[in-house]
Amino acid sequence: MTIHVDLVVDAKGLTCPMPIVRTKKAMEQLQPGQVLEVQATDKGSLADIQGWAKNTGHQYIGTIEEGDVLKHYLRKANPTEVKEETKYPHVVSLEELQKKVENNEQVFILDVREEAEYVFGHIPGAYHIPLGQLEERLNELNKDETIYVICRTGNRSDLAAQQLAEKGFTRVFNVIPGMTQWQGTITKGGNEQ
Amino acid sequence: MKKRVAIIAANGGLFDAYKVFNIATAAAATEAEVAIFFTFEGLNLIHKEAYQQLPLPEGKEQIQQGFAQANVPSIPELVSMAQEMGVKFIACQMTMDVMGLTKEHFVDGIDVGGAVTFLDFAKDADITLTF
Repeated sequence: MTIHVDLVVDAKGLTCPMPIVRTKKAMEQLQPGQVLEVQATDKGSLADIQGWAKNTGHQYIGTIEEGDVLKHYLRKANPTEVKEETKYPHVVSLEELQKKVENNEQVFILDVREEAEYVFGHIPGAYHIPLGQLEERLNELNKDETIYVICRTGNRSDLAAQQLAEKGFTRVFNVIPGMTQWQGTITKGGNEQ
Repeated sequence: MKKRVAIIAANGGLFDAYKVFNIATAAAATEAEVAIFFTFEGLNLIHKEAYQQLPLPEGKEQIQQGFAQANVPSIPELVSMAQEMGVKFIACQMTMDVMGLTKEHFVDGIDVGGAVTFLDFAKDADITLTF
Protein backbone atom coordinates (compact mmCIF):
# COMPACT_ATOMS: atom_id res chain seq x y z
CA MET A 1 0.00 0.00 0.00
CA THR A 2 1.29 3.47 -0.84
CA ILE A 3 0.36 6.33 1.41
CA HIS A 4 0.57 9.83 0.03
CA VAL A 5 3.33 11.76 1.79
CA ASP A 6 4.97 15.10 1.12
CA LEU A 7 8.55 13.98 1.68
CA VAL A 8 10.39 10.68 2.08
CA VAL A 9 13.61 10.32 4.07
CA ASP A 10 15.80 7.35 3.31
CA ALA A 11 17.63 6.45 6.51
CA LYS A 12 18.02 2.77 5.64
CA GLY A 13 21.26 1.21 6.82
CA LEU A 14 21.95 4.09 9.21
CA THR A 15 22.39 3.67 12.95
CA CYS A 16 21.43 5.87 15.86
CA PRO A 17 21.38 8.86 15.95
CA MET A 18 21.28 9.25 12.16
CA PRO A 19 17.59 8.43 11.54
CA ILE A 20 16.64 11.12 14.05
CA VAL A 21 19.11 13.63 12.65
CA ARG A 22 17.76 13.04 9.14
CA THR A 23 14.18 13.33 10.41
CA LYS A 24 14.87 16.66 12.04
CA LYS A 25 16.50 18.06 8.90
CA ALA A 26 13.64 16.88 6.70
CA MET A 27 11.01 18.31 9.04
CA GLU A 28 12.57 21.74 8.63
CA GLN A 29 11.74 21.63 4.92
CA LEU A 30 8.04 20.91 5.46
CA GLN A 31 5.08 23.18 6.03
CA PRO A 32 2.78 22.59 9.02
CA GLY A 33 0.28 19.84 8.23
CA GLN A 34 2.52 18.05 5.74
CA VAL A 35 3.39 14.40 6.21
CA LEU A 36 6.86 12.86 6.32
CA GLU A 37 7.81 9.23 5.77
CA VAL A 38 11.05 8.04 7.36
CA GLN A 39 12.41 4.74 6.10
CA ALA A 40 14.82 3.09 8.51
CA THR A 41 16.34 -0.30 9.22
CA ASP A 42 17.51 0.68 12.70
CA LYS A 43 15.15 -1.21 15.04
CA GLY A 44 15.73 1.38 17.74
CA SER A 45 14.21 4.04 15.51
CA LEU A 46 10.73 2.76 16.38
CA ALA A 47 11.03 4.00 19.95
CA ASP A 48 13.29 6.93 19.03
CA ILE A 49 10.91 8.45 16.49
CA GLN A 50 8.05 8.35 18.98
CA GLY A 51 10.16 9.94 21.69
CA TRP A 52 11.37 12.54 19.24
CA ALA A 53 7.83 13.43 18.19
CA LYS A 54 6.72 13.71 21.80
CA ASN A 55 9.54 16.10 22.62
CA THR A 56 9.34 18.26 19.52
CA GLY A 57 5.54 18.47 19.44
CA HIS A 58 5.18 16.91 15.99
CA GLN A 59 2.58 14.20 15.48
CA TYR A 60 3.68 10.56 15.27
CA ILE A 61 1.07 8.86 13.11
CA GLY A 62 2.33 5.30 12.99
CA THR A 63 4.80 2.80 11.59
CA ILE A 64 4.48 0.13 8.93
CA GLU A 65 6.97 -2.72 8.84
CA GLU A 66 7.90 -4.01 5.42
CA GLY A 67 10.49 -6.75 5.70
CA ASP A 68 13.52 -5.17 7.35
CA VAL A 69 12.34 -1.64 6.66
CA LEU A 70 10.39 0.42 9.16
CA LYS A 71 8.34 3.19 7.59
CA HIS A 72 7.54 5.85 10.14
CA TYR A 73 4.88 8.47 9.41
CA LEU A 74 5.01 11.89 11.03
CA ARG A 75 3.01 15.04 10.53
CA LYS A 76 4.49 18.46 11.07
CA ALA A 77 2.56 20.23 13.78
CA ASN A 78 1.20 23.71 13.51
CA PRO A 79 2.33 25.81 16.48
CA THR A 80 -1.26 26.94 17.08
CA GLU A 81 -2.75 23.48 16.65
CA VAL A 82 -2.92 22.59 20.31
CA LYS A 83 -5.07 25.58 21.03
CA GLU A 84 -8.71 24.84 20.47
CA GLU A 85 -9.98 27.72 18.35
CA THR A 86 -13.43 26.73 17.25
CA LYS A 87 -15.39 29.09 15.11
CA TYR A 88 -17.97 26.91 13.41
CA PRO A 89 -21.02 27.05 15.71
CA HIS A 90 -22.66 23.68 15.08
CA VAL A 91 -20.79 21.05 16.97
CA VAL A 92 -21.48 17.59 18.25
CA SER A 93 -19.53 15.79 20.94
CA LEU A 94 -17.44 12.81 20.08
CA GLU A 95 -19.35 10.83 22.68
CA GLU A 96 -22.65 11.57 21.01
CA LEU A 97 -21.25 10.53 17.64
CA GLN A 98 -19.96 7.31 19.14
CA LYS A 99 -23.42 6.47 20.48
CA LYS A 100 -24.92 7.01 17.05
CA VAL A 101 -22.30 4.76 15.47
CA GLU A 102 -22.80 2.08 18.10
CA ASN A 103 -26.59 2.18 17.65
CA ASN A 104 -26.02 1.59 13.94
CA GLU A 105 -27.67 4.86 13.02
CA GLN A 106 -27.04 5.95 9.44
CA VAL A 107 -24.45 8.65 9.96
CA PHE A 108 -22.23 10.13 7.30
CA ILE A 109 -18.82 10.84 8.79
CA LEU A 110 -16.34 12.90 6.81
CA ASP A 111 -12.73 12.43 7.94
CA VAL A 112 -10.58 15.36 6.78
CA ARG A 113 -7.19 14.25 8.11
CA GLU A 114 -4.21 13.41 5.89
CA GLU A 115 -4.21 10.03 4.19
CA ALA A 116 -1.53 8.54 6.44
CA GLU A 117 -3.54 9.43 9.53
CA TYR A 118 -6.72 7.94 8.05
CA VAL A 119 -4.97 4.72 7.03
CA PHE A 120 -3.62 4.14 10.53
CA GLY A 121 -7.11 4.21 12.02
CA HIS A 122 -10.51 5.76 11.33
CA ILE A 123 -14.12 5.29 12.37
CA PRO A 124 -15.59 2.36 10.43
CA GLY A 125 -17.35 3.67 7.33
CA ALA A 126 -15.90 7.20 7.58
CA TYR A 127 -15.51 8.88 4.21
CA HIS A 128 -12.10 10.36 3.59
CA ILE A 129 -11.24 13.68 1.95
CA PRO A 130 -8.16 15.51 3.29
CA LEU A 131 -8.88 19.14 4.18
CA GLY A 132 -6.60 20.34 1.39
CA GLN A 133 -8.68 18.54 -1.26
CA LEU A 134 -12.12 19.35 0.11
CA GLU A 135 -12.87 22.27 -2.17
CA GLU A 136 -12.22 20.36 -5.40
CA ARG A 137 -14.05 17.25 -4.22
CA LEU A 138 -17.31 18.80 -2.98
CA ASN A 139 -19.22 16.96 -5.71
CA GLU A 140 -18.58 13.72 -3.82
CA LEU A 141 -20.78 14.99 -0.98
CA ASN A 142 -24.54 15.31 -0.70
CA LYS A 143 -25.87 18.70 0.41
CA ASP A 144 -29.06 17.18 1.81
CA GLU A 145 -27.31 14.72 4.03
CA THR A 146 -26.22 15.37 7.60
CA ILE A 147 -22.44 15.38 7.64
CA TYR A 148 -20.31 14.86 10.73
CA VAL A 149 -16.85 16.26 10.08
CA ILE A 150 -13.98 14.87 12.10
CA CYS A 151 -10.19 15.27 12.26
CA ARG A 152 -7.58 14.68 14.93
CA THR A 153 -8.39 17.43 17.44
CA GLY A 154 -11.28 19.42 16.00
CA ASN A 155 -9.35 22.20 14.26
CA ARG A 156 -9.13 20.99 10.70
CA SER A 157 -12.71 19.72 10.89
CA ASP A 158 -13.72 23.19 12.08
CA LEU A 159 -12.19 24.72 8.96
CA ALA A 160 -13.77 22.02 6.81
CA ALA A 161 -17.21 22.63 8.36
CA GLN A 162 -16.84 26.35 7.66
CA GLN A 163 -15.87 25.63 4.05
CA LEU A 164 -18.89 23.37 3.62
CA ALA A 165 -21.23 25.95 5.13
CA GLU A 166 -19.90 28.57 2.70
CA LYS A 167 -20.70 26.25 -0.19
CA GLY A 168 -24.28 25.84 0.89
CA PHE A 169 -24.15 22.72 3.01
CA THR A 170 -26.62 23.31 5.81
CA ARG A 171 -26.58 20.10 7.83
CA VAL A 172 -22.95 20.02 8.89
CA PHE A 173 -21.64 19.29 12.38
CA ASN A 174 -18.09 19.58 13.60
CA VAL A 175 -17.17 16.70 15.91
CA ILE A 176 -15.29 17.78 19.03
CA PRO A 177 -12.74 16.71 20.02
CA GLY A 178 -11.36 14.45 17.30
CA MET A 179 -9.82 11.06 16.77
CA THR A 180 -7.27 11.56 19.56
CA GLN A 181 -10.08 10.88 22.04
CA TRP A 182 -12.04 8.30 20.06
CA GLN A 183 -12.90 5.30 22.24
CA GLY A 184 -14.88 3.24 19.74
CA THR A 185 -13.67 0.69 17.23
CA ILE A 186 -11.47 1.72 14.36
CA THR A 187 -10.75 0.42 10.90
CA LYS A 188 -7.33 0.52 9.28
CA GLY A 189 -6.58 0.93 5.61
CA GLY A 190 -7.49 3.10 2.67
CA ASN A 191 -10.69 4.93 1.75
CA GLU A 192 -13.93 2.99 2.14
CA GLN A 193 -15.94 3.91 -0.90
CA MET B 1 11.59 26.99 26.25
CA LYS B 2 14.23 24.70 24.85
CA LYS B 3 15.54 21.86 26.96
CA ARG B 4 19.18 22.29 27.85
CA VAL B 5 21.66 19.40 27.93
CA ALA B 6 25.10 19.84 29.52
CA ILE B 7 27.72 17.15 28.93
CA ILE B 8 31.20 16.69 30.41
CA ALA B 9 33.56 14.60 28.28
CA ALA B 10 36.50 13.56 30.44
CA ASN B 11 37.68 10.40 28.70
CA GLY B 12 39.40 9.91 25.38
CA GLY B 13 38.54 6.47 24.03
CA LEU B 14 36.47 5.59 21.00
CA PHE B 15 33.61 4.29 23.14
CA ASP B 16 33.60 7.52 25.11
CA ALA B 17 33.46 9.50 21.89
CA TYR B 18 30.40 7.64 20.64
CA LYS B 19 28.59 8.03 23.93
CA VAL B 20 29.24 11.75 23.99
CA PHE B 21 28.50 12.56 20.36
CA ASN B 22 25.51 10.25 19.91
CA ILE B 23 23.73 11.73 22.89
CA ALA B 24 24.73 15.24 21.87
CA THR B 25 23.54 14.96 18.26
CA ALA B 26 20.33 13.15 19.24
CA ALA B 27 19.58 15.88 21.80
CA ALA B 28 20.32 18.64 19.28
CA ALA B 29 18.06 16.91 16.74
CA THR B 30 15.34 16.88 19.37
CA GLU B 31 15.66 20.63 19.59
CA ALA B 32 17.66 20.83 22.78
CA GLU B 33 20.42 23.33 23.39
CA VAL B 34 23.58 21.30 23.93
CA ALA B 35 27.06 22.13 25.21
CA ILE B 36 29.97 19.75 25.79
CA PHE B 37 32.84 20.58 28.09
CA PHE B 38 35.99 18.70 27.04
CA THR B 39 38.48 18.19 29.79
CA PHE B 40 41.63 16.05 30.32
CA GLU B 41 41.54 13.05 28.03
CA GLY B 42 38.19 14.19 26.71
CA LEU B 43 40.11 16.77 24.69
CA ASN B 44 41.16 13.93 22.36
CA LEU B 45 37.59 13.80 21.08
CA ILE B 46 38.00 17.14 19.32
CA HIS B 47 41.77 17.06 18.69
CA LYS B 48 42.37 17.36 14.92
CA GLU B 49 44.66 14.32 14.73
CA ALA B 50 43.69 12.29 17.77
CA TYR B 51 39.98 12.17 17.01
CA GLN B 52 40.59 10.35 13.75
CA GLN B 53 41.98 7.29 15.49
CA LEU B 54 40.74 7.08 19.02
CA PRO B 55 41.75 3.94 20.89
CA LEU B 56 39.42 1.07 21.70
CA PRO B 57 39.63 -0.37 25.22
CA GLU B 58 42.41 -2.94 25.53
CA GLY B 59 41.33 -6.37 24.37
CA LYS B 60 38.32 -4.99 22.48
CA GLU B 61 40.15 -4.19 19.25
CA GLN B 62 38.06 -6.68 17.27
CA ILE B 63 35.01 -4.43 17.80
CA GLN B 64 36.48 -2.07 15.18
CA GLN B 65 34.97 -4.35 12.56
CA GLY B 66 31.59 -4.17 14.23
CA PHE B 67 31.57 -0.39 13.85
CA ALA B 68 32.29 -0.72 10.13
CA GLN B 69 29.66 -3.42 9.63
CA ALA B 70 26.95 -1.56 11.49
CA ASN B 71 27.62 1.46 9.24
CA VAL B 72 28.16 3.74 12.23
CA PRO B 73 29.30 7.24 11.26
CA SER B 74 32.94 8.06 12.02
CA ILE B 75 33.80 10.36 14.92
CA PRO B 76 34.90 13.22 12.61
CA GLU B 77 31.53 12.90 10.85
CA LEU B 78 29.64 13.01 14.13
CA VAL B 79 31.68 16.00 15.28
CA SER B 80 30.87 18.06 12.21
CA MET B 81 27.24 16.98 12.34
CA ALA B 82 27.00 18.03 15.98
CA GLN B 83 28.54 21.41 15.20
CA GLU B 84 26.24 21.88 12.24
CA MET B 85 23.27 21.37 14.54
CA GLY B 86 24.52 23.98 16.95
CA VAL B 87 26.15 21.85 19.65
CA LYS B 88 28.57 24.06 21.51
CA PHE B 89 32.08 22.72 22.21
CA ILE B 90 34.01 24.13 25.14
CA ALA B 91 37.62 23.05 25.59
CA CYS B 92 39.04 23.29 29.07
CA GLN B 93 41.73 25.99 29.19
CA MET B 94 43.48 24.60 32.22
CA THR B 95 43.88 21.12 30.70
CA MET B 96 45.14 22.68 27.48
CA ASP B 97 47.78 24.60 29.41
CA VAL B 98 48.86 21.47 31.26
CA MET B 99 49.14 19.48 28.04
CA GLY B 100 50.75 22.28 26.03
CA LEU B 101 47.86 22.51 23.56
CA THR B 102 46.48 25.57 21.81
CA LYS B 103 43.19 26.25 20.08
CA GLU B 104 44.83 25.46 16.71
CA HIS B 105 45.22 21.80 17.73
CA PHE B 106 41.45 21.39 17.77
CA VAL B 107 38.65 21.33 15.24
CA ASP B 108 37.39 24.73 14.14
CA GLY B 109 34.53 26.47 15.83
CA ILE B 110 35.24 25.58 19.45
CA ASP B 111 35.22 27.84 22.47
CA VAL B 112 37.93 27.75 25.07
CA GLY B 113 36.93 28.40 28.62
CA GLY B 114 37.31 27.57 32.25
CA ALA B 115 35.11 25.59 34.54
CA VAL B 116 32.84 28.56 35.12
CA THR B 117 32.11 28.85 31.40
CA PHE B 118 30.62 25.38 31.55
CA LEU B 119 28.96 25.87 34.92
CA ASP B 120 27.28 29.00 33.68
CA PHE B 121 25.66 26.94 30.92
CA ALA B 122 25.02 23.93 33.16
CA LYS B 123 23.32 25.82 35.96
CA ASP B 124 20.11 26.01 33.92
CA ALA B 125 20.45 22.58 32.33
CA ASP B 126 17.59 20.10 32.40
CA ILE B 127 19.96 17.19 31.89
CA THR B 128 23.60 16.94 32.91
CA LEU B 129 25.74 14.00 31.84
CA THR B 130 29.33 12.97 32.45
CA PHE B 131 31.27 10.57 30.29
